[in-house]
Amino acid sequence: MTIRWKHLIVLAVLAPLLGLAVGWSGLMSVRASTGHWAITDWFLHWVMRNSVSVRAVATGDVPPLGDPALVPGAAGHFETGCAVCHGSPAQPRPDSVLAMLPPPPDLKTVVPEWSDAELFEIVKHGVRFTGMPAWPVQSRDDEVWSMVAFLRKLPDMDAQAYIKASGLHGIGHAGEVSPLPITCESCHAEAKLSDDSYIPRLAGQSEAYLLNALKAYADKQRPSGIMQVAVGTLPSEGLPELAAYYANQNLGDRADTAHDPALVEKGRLLAEQGRAADKVPACLSCHDKQDGNPAYPKLTGQNSAYLRQQLALFHAGTRGGSSFAHLMTNAAKELKPEDIDALAAYFSQR
Amino acid sequence: MAQLFFVMIFGGGIIWCAVVASLIYASRKKHVHSEESAGRVILWGGAILPTIILCALLSYGMWLMPAIRPWVPADQPISRIEVTGEQFWWRVRYLDEAGATLFETANEVRIPVGEPAHFSLKATDVLHSFWVPSLGGKMDMIPGRTNGLTLTAEREGIYNGVCAEFCGESHALMAFRVKAVAPDAFEAWLSARSVKTRSIEPDQAKGLAVFLKNGCGACHTISGTAANGRIGPDLTAFGERATLAAGTLPHTAKDIARFVADPGKIKPGVKMPHFRMLPEDEIKKIAEFLKELR
Repeated sequence: MTIRWKHLIVLAVLAPLLGLAVGWSGLMSVRASTGHWAITDWFLHWVMRNSVSVRAVATGDVPPLGDPALVPGAAGHFETGCAVCHGSPAQPRPDSVLAMLPPPPDLKTVVPEWSDAELFEIVKHGVRFTGMPAWPVQSRDDEVWSMVAFLRKLPDMDAQAYIKASGLHGIGHAGEVSPLPITCESCHAEAKLSDDSYIPRLAGQSEAYLLNALKAYADKQRPSGIMQVAVGTLPSEGLPELAAYYANQNLGDRADTAHDPALVEKGRLLAEQGRAADKVPACLSCHDKQDGNPAYPKLTGQNSAYLRQQLALFHAGTRGGSSFAHLMTNAAKELKPEDIDALAAYFSQR
Repeated sequence: MAQLFFVMIFGGGIIWCAVVASLIYASRKKHVHSEESAGRVILWGGAILPTIILCALLSYGMWLMPAIRPWVPADQPISRIEVTGEQFWWRVRYLDEAGATLFETANEVRIPVGEPAHFSLKATDVLHSFWVPSLGGKMDMIPGRTNGLTLTAEREGIYNGVCAEFCGESHALMAFRVKAVAPDAFEAWLSARSVKTRSIEPDQAKGLAVFLKNGCGACHTISGTAANGRIGPDLTAFGERATLAAGTLPHTAKDIARFVADPGKIKPGVKMPHFRMLPEDEIKKIAEFLKELR
C-alpha cells in the first residue's frame, strides 16, 4: 500500500482525537504516590534546568550581594514563605513535604549548583508544575536580589545564625504551645536595626502613616513581596492597633553613624530649600514639621539605607503606597542618585 | 502706525497702476517696437523703477521701526518685567533697574498706560511664544535665551494674551491678561506688592494652616508666610486675579476647589499633582482662603 495525502490527513485528524480519548478515559495516572518514571523525571529536570539557564542570561548585571544588611529581611521572609517547604537550618523538611512530587529540594545542597542570575530567575518567576511560586510582586527586583544574597549565605548557616537572622522566636517542642514563630518584631525590632538596614524603624512613626502603609500593603497598592506576605496574614481590623503600637513607642537615640559632613550639608540644603530649577520641592515643606499632615511620614532618624531604597523606588515610579504616594513620586522624579545619597545621609542623622 | 499703512497703500497703488497700464498697453497689438527699445522698457520698468520704489518704502519702514518696536539693549538699566513661559502658565517677575526681583506673580501682567513696558521673555522647559495681539507682535520664548519686547498700551483696559507656540497638551489653555492702568495707580500697586510682610487675619489663619499642613508651600509662595516654594505659580495676591489656571477657569472658590482636587482633569499634562485624597472640607478651606488672598 502506498501512503497517500488522504492517509496523512486522516492521521492528522485522528491522532489528537486519540490523545483526547486517552485523557478522557482516566487511564493516565496523576498519582504522586507512584512517582515519575526515571526518564520522565530526567526529562522534566532537563527542561527546567535549560529554561532557567537560558533565561538567566537576560537577567542583566548582578548587583553587589555582599551587603550583610540584605540578609535579615530576606531571612524573615524565608521563614514565613519558604521554610515551610524547603526547611531551614532550624527545622528540617517535614515528611509531609517530602511526599510532594517533586519534593522541594534541600537548599543547602542545591543552591551552590546555580549561579546568582539563575537563582534570581527561579526566585522571581518560580517553576511551573512543581509548586514553586513566583515572587509575590514582579516589580521589586531589589527584594529578589536580597533573597539571592540570603540564599548564598544559607548553606553555611547553623540553626543559631539562622534564628538570629530571621528573627524566628523559637521552635515549639513536644508538650508545649508553640509561640508565634515570626512577628513584626522579628524584623523591625529596634535592637536588630542599624543605619545600614533596609528594614525601617517604626518606633514613633506617625500613626496615620503606619496605618496607610499597612493598608497599602494589604491592598497591593505598595508592591513588596516581603511585606505583602507579612501583612496578608493579619486580620484587617487588627491593623489600627498595630499602627498605634509602634506610633506610641519612643524613637530612641542612636549613636550617629558617621556620614560625610559635606554630603549631610548637601542633603540639608536640598531638604530645606529644594531645587526649584529642577522642580524638586523642599522635603521639609511636608515632612517632619509641626502641624503637618500625619499622612506624611517622619523621616528624622530613619535608617539611611531604607531612605535610599525608598527614594530610588519613588524616583523609578514603582514605590506605590497610600493615596498620597503620587505626591512623592512627583517630588522624587528629578532627583539624581547623588541627591538621594545626600538626603538619606541628612535625614538619618538629623 | 496708521501713517505707515497709508504710505504703503499709496506706494503700492502707484506700482499697481503702472502694472495695469503696461498690461493694457501690451495687449494692444498695433505698437511695434525694436528689440532694443523693448529691452530698455524691461530694464527700467521691470528692474530699476521697482527697486527704487521698494527701497524707498523699506527705508521708510526701517526708519519708523524704533518707534513701533523700541529696542532696548539688555544691559541698559531700566525696570523690566520678566515673563517666563512654563508648562502651562506664565511666571511674571517685576524687576528693578538693577535687575533684582521686586516680587513675583503669575498669569496677569500690570503695565502703566502710555508708557513703554519692557519685557524680558524666557522659557524653562520648551518653546513658548508671548503674544498680546492688541498690543504688538509675537515674541518666542526660548529655553536658555532672553528675548526682549517692548509694548505700549494707549488705552486703559484689559488686553488678552496667549501662548502662540505649541508647547504641549494644554497649550490652548495657556492664556494671560495684560491690565493697563493709570501710571500713578501702577506705581501704587508696584510699591504695595513689593512689601514682603503680611498680617494674617484670624479668619485667614485657619485656611493658611490647612494650606501649610498639606505641603502646598513646597511649590507655591505666599509672601510673608512659611510658604516659599518656587516651583509653581506665586499665590501672594492670588485673589486679585480675574481668572484661574492661566485663563482656564473663572476665579471662584468653587472652581479653585475643583482645580486643587483634580488639576489634570482641567489642564491635561499639568505638573501639579491632584489632591482629591484630601477631605472635602480641607479642599474647600484652601479654596476659600486662596480666593481672599490680596
